[in-house]
Amino acid sequence: MKLRLLMLWLVVTLPLVWGVYKTLLNAMKLFN
Amino acid sequence: MAESFLDRASTVAPPLFNRFLVPPAALAVHLSIGQAYAFSTFNLPLTKLIGITHQSPEDWGATEVGWTFSIAIAILGLSAALFGHWVERVGPRKAMFTAALCFGGGFIVAAVGLHFHALWMLYLGYGVLGGCGLGIGYISPVSTLIKWFPDRPGMATGMAIMGFGGGALIAAPLSVTLMDHFRTATSNGVVETFATMGVIYFFFMMVGVLSVRVPAPDWKPAGWTPSVKPQRLVTQSDVLVGQAWRTPQFWLLWGILCMNVSAGIGVLGQASPMIQEIFSGRVTPAAAAGFVGLLSLFNMAGRFFWAAASDYLGRRNTYLVFFLLGIVLYSTVPSVGRLGSIPLFVTAFAIIISMYGGGFATIPAYLRDMFGTLNVGAIHGRLLTAWAVAGVVGPQLFTYIRKFQIDQGVAKTQAYSVTMYIMCGLLFLGFLCDISMRPVAARFHFKPVGDAA
Repeated sequence: MKLRLLMLWLVVTLPLVWGVYKTLLNAMKLFN
Repeated sequence: MAESFLDRASTVAPPLFNRFLVPPAALAVHLSIGQAYAFSTFNLPLTKLIGITHQSPEDWGATEVGWTFSIAIAILGLSAALFGHWVERVGPRKAMFTAALCFGGGFIVAAVGLHFHALWMLYLGYGVLGGCGLGIGYISPVSTLIKWFPDRPGMATGMAIMGFGGGALIAAPLSVTLMDHFRTATSNGVVETFATMGVIYFFFMMVGVLSVRVPAPDWKPAGWTPSVKPQRLVTQSDVLVGQAWRTPQFWLLWGILCMNVSAGIGVLGQASPMIQEIFSGRVTPAAAAGFVGLLSLFNMAGRFFWAAASDYLGRRNTYLVFFLLGIVLYSTVPSVGRLGSIPLFVTAFAIIISMYGGGFATIPAYLRDMFGTLNVGAIHGRLLTAWAVAGVVGPQLFTYIRKFQIDQGVAKTQAYSVTMYIMCGLLFLGFLCDISMRPVAARFHFKPVGDAA
């Protein structure tokens, strides 16, 4: 059950982390 | 009749099931349908399907393409209202599966339409079919999460609805990456991108379909007992969807959502030109795009933060914060603009947009407090018509007032001042709705057969 929980959270959070990272890179242009 | 894998009865969780497996299932759906917020990345490429590098006379215009998003959002509101009761009846798995078929299939139909350059197929695919996927997908996990987290309903629904805000953060770079990948001398890559996204989103939503579970009817979190201390604005009774919309509380909540969304959505749509015009010559288009990105992050984070905070503050108090703090921030923006302080301006709008997102995410828990858990998903579906109305009113009001000001000879740097005060007015109306909230009268409460007094 714990492995399933970890896998499921990873599946949904990895794309989100990628999206947040890309957006943060874009947002940094505001401060340059 | 044989029981289907998709039926509600097949999704009842076994004993000792870990309830934290359910939020990622909801997130899988909301992160997918949140793509809608990033549809604007296709606006320009869709007007160059034939010309590839430039807009040819046979290509569609920006207005024609712009209708696709408007149709999708209108259908979102309509389908959430129409299918809310069905979603409650069949359970989250069948509803999520239907949403995956509609949303993924909508992309595929739209891709075929783009291939044949048939605008009606784009409207039908992304607008109508995709819009149904948006509406059904948006409401499908809400009541399930509320039932799994009776101790923290705001946090649970905030987590899912945060996914809708986060979906745009994924979809915008994904769309650009795919279009770059598929671009050739004879295609700008949009057709292939639509088809690929249809397949990706279908399978990603299936993660939610396969993992979602509903709690057994008598299930309660371990060690949790419902509060015996009566809270005035948290009911222990249920109100059916057919009764709920006859209550003044439903329309007060409709007004609260509509005003909160109207005040924020106009800013989101015009954020880039607004910051460039107010700080003319000091903010480049690239920096303005950064401002839009920053607002998207606060839109997403606010959904979780404010909804989770509402479990402690109370739902009415949370909206009071949105409206009062929003009025203070909007009314100071013109002064901040005159002062020329970009950091203060960005901070004010980051907080405003976090409360815009928070308004979406806190409303399911507010509905649960007022109407109980029995039909909360269906009632939420009907309430989302407020979003459809605000989606039209907010941006139109924002752009119309700005244009009127400029036509009257007001400098572009000052043209947003009146708009900000109008936004304060909308928030004040929302504030009035919120402070008018009272418990639902007992005559609207659902009485099970044999339980009548």
